[in-house]
Amino acid sequence: MSQAKIKVENLSLWYGAAQGLKDVSVEIGEHAVTAIIGPSGCGKSSFLRTLNRMNDHVPGTRLTGRVLLDGEDIYARGQDPARLRKRVGMVFQRPNPFPMTIYQNIAYGPRVHGQRGEARLREIVEQSLRRAALWDEVRDKLQKSAFELSGGQQQRLCIARALAVEPEVLLMDEPASALDPVATSKIEELIVNLKESYTLIVVTHNMQQAGRISDRTAFFLSGELIEFGPTRDIFTRPRDRRTEDYVTGRFG
Amino acid sequence: MNVTWRRVKDRIMLALAALMGIIILVPVVGMLWLVVSHALPALSFGLFTQVTVGTGGGLANAIVGTFYVVGLGILIAAPLGIMAGVYVGEVNPGSSIAQFVRFTTDVLAGVPSIVIGYFGYVTLVLGLGWGFSTLAGAIALALIGIPYVVRSTETALSKVPRGMREASLALGASQTTTIWRVTLREALPGVVTGVLLALSIAIGETAPLLYTAGWSNYMPNLRLTHAPIGYLTYVVWTFINEPFASANSLAYAAGLLLLILIVIVNVAARRIVARSRMGR
Amino acid sequence: MATPGKVPILDRAMRVATGIVAGGALVAMLAIFVFLLRDSWPSIQYNGGHFLTGITWNIGNLYGNSMSSHNGVQAPAGATYGILPFILGTLLSSLIAVVLAVPLAVGIGLLLVEYLPRRLGDSLSFIVEMLAGIPSVVIGLWGLAVLIPWIGRDFGPWLQAVLGFIPIFRGPVGSGQGLLASGLVLAVMITPIIAATTRDVLRQTPRETKEGALGLGLTRWEMIRAVSLPWSASGIFGAVILGLGRALGETMAVLMVSGSAVNYLPQNIFSPIGTMAATIVSQLDSAMTDPTGMAVHALAEIALVLFVMSVVVNVPARILLSSAVRRGGDAQ
Repeated sequence: MSQAKIKVENLSLWYGAAQGLKDVSVEIGEHAVTAIIGPSGCGKSSFLRTLNRMNDHVPGTRLTGRVLLDGEDIYARGQDPARLRKRVGMVFQRPNPFPMTIYQNIAYGPRVHGQRGEARLREIVEQSLRRAALWDEVRDKLQKSAFELSGGQQQRLCIARALAVEPEVLLMDEPASALDPVATSKIEELIVNLKESYTLIVVTHNMQQAGRISDRTAFFLSGELIEFGPTRDIFTRPRDRRTEDYVTGRFG
Repeated sequence: MNVTWRRVKDRIMLALAALMGIIILVPVVGMLWLVVSHALPALSFGLFTQVTVGTGGGLANAIVGTFYVVGLGILIAAPLGIMAGVYVGEVNPGSSIAQFVRFTTDVLAGVPSIVIGYFGYVTLVLGLGWGFSTLAGAIALALIGIPYVVRSTETALSKVPRGMREASLALGASQTTTIWRVTLREALPGVVTGVLLALSIAIGETAPLLYTAGWSNYMPNLRLTHAPIGYLTYVVWTFINEPFASANSLAYAAGLLLLILIVIVNVAARRIVARSRMGR
Repeated sequence: MATPGKVPILDRAMRVATGIVAGGALVAMLAIFVFLLRDSWPSIQYNGGHFLTGITWNIGNLYGNSMSSHNGVQAPAGATYGILPFILGTLLSSLIAVVLAVPLAVGIGLLLVEYLPRRLGDSLSFIVEMLAGIPSVVIGLWGLAVLIPWIGRDFGPWLQAVLGFIPIFRGPVGSGQGLLASGLVLAVMITPIIAATTRDVLRQTPRETKEGALGLGLTRWEMIRAVSLPWSASGIFGAVILGLGRALGETMAVLMVSGSAVNYLPQNIFSPIGTMAATIVSQLDSAMTDPTGMAVHALAEIALVLFVMSVVVNVPARILLSSAVRRGGDAQ
């Protein structure tokens, strides 16, 4: 694995008085898929959201520790969350297209970051849709409303939309949990293909999925990072008793 | 109590409720029939081209005046109401400030329009020396309409799914961009309904305009102050009390035009809501 | 606190701008109160408490040069401003309106939610909403042209024949203009609003509770009485008070059917009346002829009283309604 793209040092997160993350330290490698697993409420989504500062928008959150992207602390004074989010994109559990055409959905991100030329925007839209494996299905209905797509297509649209701003890292919060099995496998295939160009971090409650798509896996429990390592090791020779219990289905 | 009596009582209650429904139809139907039948004698091309002259003439000045003063009023009310609704619903929702503003807006909605009209009279017509004027009338109408825009905007914003906002923020957009390009866009049907509601109310107002816009027999010019303006509701009220048949017909004609305008606005509002539900 | 990061200037400016506009509601309420108070101050000084208790409204002798003065404030000779008849006219007509509107509105609400099939219910809903949108002057037109003659010729005499033994139903029916006509017209105006809110509140009654009652063998009416109505009670009550507030301030329609009485108290249901709102309008022209300006100040004082009354009625109504709506939301 190459050098750490994201390095988390002693990260703790509080929602008001409740502590959601306890002293988490981990290094995420580039051009790889890192899965985050654990039972509900263990903090996986909270952790994911600290990586692009989405927690800033939840009032009452407090954070200690550091999150370094290519060596720079994203929470340092003077850091611009908008620029961060251009480099670290996010795809959510439920597809959430904007009430616009497919084209406008994809073009939204680049436009926000200053991209004006129509020709260039058309290129970006096509490129992003190709990367998200959606171009062939929508190439002749770019002016249709995004809501006319099926659930699986909408989710791939959201992925294309996130890719359009050319991020380096893509965070995915249970991206396939709202989809049917066929759509799910399409998304999984896409994730594996994307790691060539991007660094992906995928939260999932589905262990088999983690096994299929990821290179490394992090296991969270009650806000703590219990174990982190190559996916195969986590599933076949977990070092911690709790990890073993989880991956063998004794709880979760 | 035996079952038959209970069933009879049930039927009686149903009949009573149905009776209420029928009773309410009486004034509605009566009004429509009255206005349409009595307006017919006055309906002619001249109605739309002539201005009111004494107790006769046409309604051209009143029609244009209504569009003018109501249009200006909504032009003021809509952006202000939307901004206030955005603050209460998006920028600072759930806070005590937001609750307080919402509460105050609701109470403002209950202030009689004549009070707002008199307030306009005292402060704008007399106080600022504008005299009876279009702008004073428009401001009074705006004060009356803003609470409805605020309420509808806030409700519409609250129905926007959270994920949509998050997706925009996650792409690096600021809160401002997110609100004005995504959230409001999704909430637009509800917002527009609120504006149309304010419009409908403004079209039908009389008392506040009596105290702020005055009356004019002439076609409105573009002067915002120091020039009164005519409007349809005034015609209904004053001309019905005149002993001349021509005046009375004009009053009914003005009433008919008002009803038509209000129906158009209401139907438009419904169409917007229905169309926004398609494709989801 | 480890979440620094600057809130972008644009965002901060937007928050401030929208916040200022939002605060405008409060500013408006305060401004209305302050300016009305300021403009009615001379009248308040001149009339004192007599304003609310006096029966005579007289803007005085405008032709001579003599002045009366009380408390150091001047007005035309013989001017006295008492609005008790208007206060009574307002309260009584609104009371009649509410008494008539409540069963009407609740009946319609129940009809729309419980009894009518969807398509019929939507049509009736549409008609009721149309009625809510009809301008006050047009309702006044109907009142003048249809209601007044009906009261004068048919309904009034019938009421007298049937209920004439009760004092309020005595007295000459007259043209039909008066308290009864005002109350009826107001009822027509406030029923749609109360009905619409009643319908919305009734719709929020949890379906399981309703079906549970029906499953136990209750008839539809018994279920309504046991479940729907108690559940919606505070919401309906709030809507009624809002309707009352609306009736108190209603101007044009009442102006056209009330008979515009001045200077005497209503004796019975057929007496002509004046209401505060209608009087402000009907007295404007003559008030403007008073060179001392006192008549205009007196009208401002009426507006002030009306403003205070509407706030006093609306505040508890809003509190009631918001807690009812919140309960409905929680139960979903």
